[in-house]
Amino acid sequence: MKLDPIQLQRLGSLPIKARVIVEGALSGMHRASVHGSSVEFAEHKEYSQGDELRHVDWKAYAKLDRYYVKQFEQESQLTVYLVLDASASMKFAGGGLAKLEYAGLSLAAIAYLVTQQQDKVGLVACGDRAIETMVPPRARTNHLHDLLGVLDELMKKGGAGDESPAEALGRIAELSRRRRSLIVLASDLFDPDDATLRALATLRAQKHDVSVLHVLDPHERTFPYEGLTEFHALESGAKLLANPSAIRKDYLDRMNTFVAKCHGTLANAGVDYHEVLTDNPLEDTLLELLVSRARLQPGAARRTG
Amino acid sequence: MGFLAPFMLVGLVAIGVPIAIHLIGRRRARIVPFAALDFLMATKRKTARRLQLRERLVLLVRALACLAVAIALAKPFTSCERKGPQVTRGPQAAVLVIDDSFAAGYLVDGKPWIKRASDEARRIVAQLGPEAEVAIVRASEGAEHPTELTRDHLRLRDQLLALEPSARPADTTRALTRAAQLLAASSHARKTVFLISLQAKSGLHPDEPPWGKDGPTFIALDLRPARMPNLAVTALKVDSDPNTGTRGVAFDAEVGNFSDEAKKVELSLTIADRVVARGELALAPHEKKTKRFLAALPAGARASDASVSLAGDGLPIDDRRYVRATLRDEVRVLLVDGDPRTVRHDDELFYVEAALRPGDREDSGTSVRSITAEELAGITKLRGLAPTIDLNDFDVVVLANVAALPAERVTALADWVRAGGGILVAPGDRVDPTAYDKTMLPLMPQSLRDPIDTTWGASPEDRDSRALHLVKWEADHPIFAPFSKDAPDLADAKFFKISLLGPTTATADRKVLARFTNGAAALVEASIGAGRTLLFTSTLDRDWNDLAIHRGFLPLIQQAVRHLARKHALGIESDHLVGGSVALPTGDLKKLEVRGPDGIGAVFEGDRLAGRSSVRFGKTDHPGIYRVIGTDQTGATHDREELAFAINVDPRGSDLTPVDATALPTSGTGSAVAPTDNTRRVELWHALAAALLLLLLAEAILVQR
Repeated sequence: MKLDPIQLQRLGSLPIKARVIVEGALSGMHRASVHGSSVEFAEHKEYSQGDELRHVDWKAYAKLDRYYVKQFEQESQLTVYLVLDASASMKFAGGGLAKLEYAGLSLAAIAYLVTQQQDKVGLVACGDRAIETMVPPRARTNHLHDLLGVLDELMKKGGAGDESPAEALGRIAELSRRRRSLIVLASDLFDPDDATLRALATLRAQKHDVSVLHVLDPHERTFPYEGLTEFHALESGAKLLANPSAIRKDYLDRMNTFVAKCHGTLANAGVDYHEVLTDNPLEDTLLELLVSRARLQPGAARRTG
Repeated sequence: MGFLAPFMLVGLVAIGVPIAIHLIGRRRARIVPFAALDFLMATKRKTARRLQLRERLVLLVRALACLAVAIALAKPFTSCERKGPQVTRGPQAAVLVIDDSFAAGYLVDGKPWIKRASDEARRIVAQLGPEAEVAIVRASEGAEHPTELTRDHLRLRDQLLALEPSARPADTTRALTRAAQLLAASSHARKTVFLISLQAKSGLHPDEPPWGKDGPTFIALDLRPARMPNLAVTALKVDSDPNTGTRGVAFDAEVGNFSDEAKKVELSLTIADRVVARGELALAPHEKKTKRFLAALPAGARASDASVSLAGDGLPIDDRRYVRATLRDEVRVLLVDGDPRTVRHDDELFYVEAALRPGDREDSGTSVRSITAEELAGITKLRGLAPTIDLNDFDVVVLANVAALPAERVTALADWVRAGGGILVAPGDRVDPTAYDKTMLPLMPQSLRDPIDTTWGASPEDRDSRALHLVKWEADHPIFAPFSKDAPDLADAKFFKISLLGPTTATADRKVLARFTNGAAALVEASIGAGRTLLFTSTLDRDWNDLAIHRGFLPLIQQAVRHLARKHALGIESDHLVGGSVALPTGDLKKLEVRGPDGIGAVFEGDRLAGRSSVRFGKTDHPGIYRVIGTDQTGATHDREELAFAINVDPRGSDLTPVDATALPTSGTGSAVAPTDNTRRVELWHALAAALLLLLLAEAILVQR
């Protein structure tokens, strides 16, 4: 049974919520019969000249009288950077969860899952100088508790400022220059100069795995308002008194164009893009992310034994 | 600027209403924090700007609408200096004399001048106010004038809107006289005549003042353009031209330059809707010149429509002149000389021959054979021989002072007349009334009696005073068509001896066409079968009268001969002008229809035609060719080509030279002069009301968007 994001929000502390989401997602994974990444896994290959002799599976030779070589994936630990856009626009809540809360829960679930797999996970938050946070990647269980604590605090503070995630992504690029990492960004991508999209493309060009959760509120996609309404912008403070029915079509056209542009730009750059609405069950969002990652890079998380 | 109802300006506070509604509306609006709008406004500010602009525009329009309502209710007005004539509002009598002559069709900036005159007249009527009694008098010659002043300004306005230039010249003096008569009948103290005309010399007669010293106030409006050059074809004559062949005709077009500068004019001759010749004329200022065109009428046509036109100027109506070009039908005349003489001018037929063949030219339209009374015996079989003279070779026989003929010749002549011939009988000293009674009656409209000599016993100096004169001729009869009612060419002729007439014979349709001053018949006409007989009761030479040496003799004899021969149309067209009447011979027609160039015409039948030898057609309101369609006794309808006629504009109206201001009538003293007030109040609330409507429309459009 899936939990509605609002119901989930009522569940105790963030670690519990994260665990609930992950369990729900993993139960879904069985149904999807997709093998996860980063678990110990090997395969056999018939020996050919040049293969290292130490990798020959002698037990198989004994059974089959043929030489097979054990092959292992990358043996190093995976580093995952979670990037949370905590700018003011993320605190918008049309009727359900605020985008920031939804993004926070999603990232908490991913952190829980990564830690469960003994991989390293870090957190970067952006939006305002007061909010800017950097939790370096670690693999310890205590670290998960610290990270979730920071995340919980950010969610409670609510979004502020209008800084785009581009700077944070640039900092990650600096930190993980030598090591390939998985970077997961949860943001609404409301960025006037498309700097975030460019930064994501740069990370991808540096061979990092990049996933984007494009978090939008259903109200932003359907614009269901009626009657004379004064809209207050969350970041700029601008006001607009309007009859929503008069501007709905124009607004929706522009919004669809924006989403299509984000999707197109990121897909072209090889970035794993997911548009998620805040009324979407979180475990579905997580599952979609996992399935997508497995499908795009089936061997990316394998480690050598 | 002032206000008629300034207290209504309190309503200006209403300007706060839309602002308050705007602000309240803002307050009542639901406030929604919206992230994507922030994004939207940040990325696409155009929409936001447009919405904001529209919102402000709606507020502005609504505020202005409230402002307009308040100010309009306060009835604002402004004052300005008067322009144009002194028009004072209030009870008064006024007559607007407007030039609707054809010159009023002069194109000024592409529009007829009369439109400008009409606009000005409507402005004056409006300024006179509803209490003014007004009449509009048109200044074209022959225009119908109103019989009284009226307060029905709507009808006056309709009249002014419907005003079109006529095709007649101006007779401004007559119109002003009529205006003075209308005002004289009014009891108002203030009486004014407004003259809206081109003030052309031709329409004003300074020697005929329209009113006396106690006449009305006179205001002449100067609406005349600075320059009004005009060119016109002022006359067009057509005559046969034997040198060009049997169908040759010569057109003499007179062109006038009514301007202060020399002009070169291009002329073209059109025959039967085809331009057949072109020419040029160089004209000095105020000069008239004649251009001759030679052309041949189209093959097979006895008559054709023709016109000469010049390249268009400001007044097109007088740039073309029409004419009917008709080839002459030769009339064959047998002249029987009852008193031949060896001395040429003593001969009985000397003057008749000269009148029928002036200059003895081949193109005179008449072929004449003269014989003696004895030679007339050749019309009958003589001693078993065939007749030497065939009467069928002739259309008309003239018996001039012929003694009574033997019965067989009279019978032969009477048979010929009954078959359609025409005979003219004139007495003389050789005519014995008693002998005539015995044999000649079958040829006579009336029997003859002894002649009377009015100068008998008179001294030579009294001789002229006792002479008789022609009076009371049938002006509508084709024979007298070239003459006016009191033509001196005929009336001055002296008749010393005339034959009196006896009792009426059995001839049908007997009619006295002319009488002498003593009441005796001068010219009697009657029908004999299909033919006609004419009896002139004096001689055709100078024995009994001196008619032969008067100018009227030639056309009278020619017309008489043509009438007897039933060939009326002559090559030379008389110039009929717009508004004039045209006499049309009816012949034996049962119905006669005239169609003008605009298709409108008149139908003569029944009582309007019965018993008349001619009818007069007077609806000649437009220049052009008028067609005549006749229905004969058998019911057959034919286009009577020979009766078609041309109507032209009066060339007097083409001269647009302005009259001197001193030649205009002056204001009389019989009218109270209105107080001088050089300012005029212009009410502004109409404009504000219109602006309000526009603002409401704009508001509706802005709100819908």
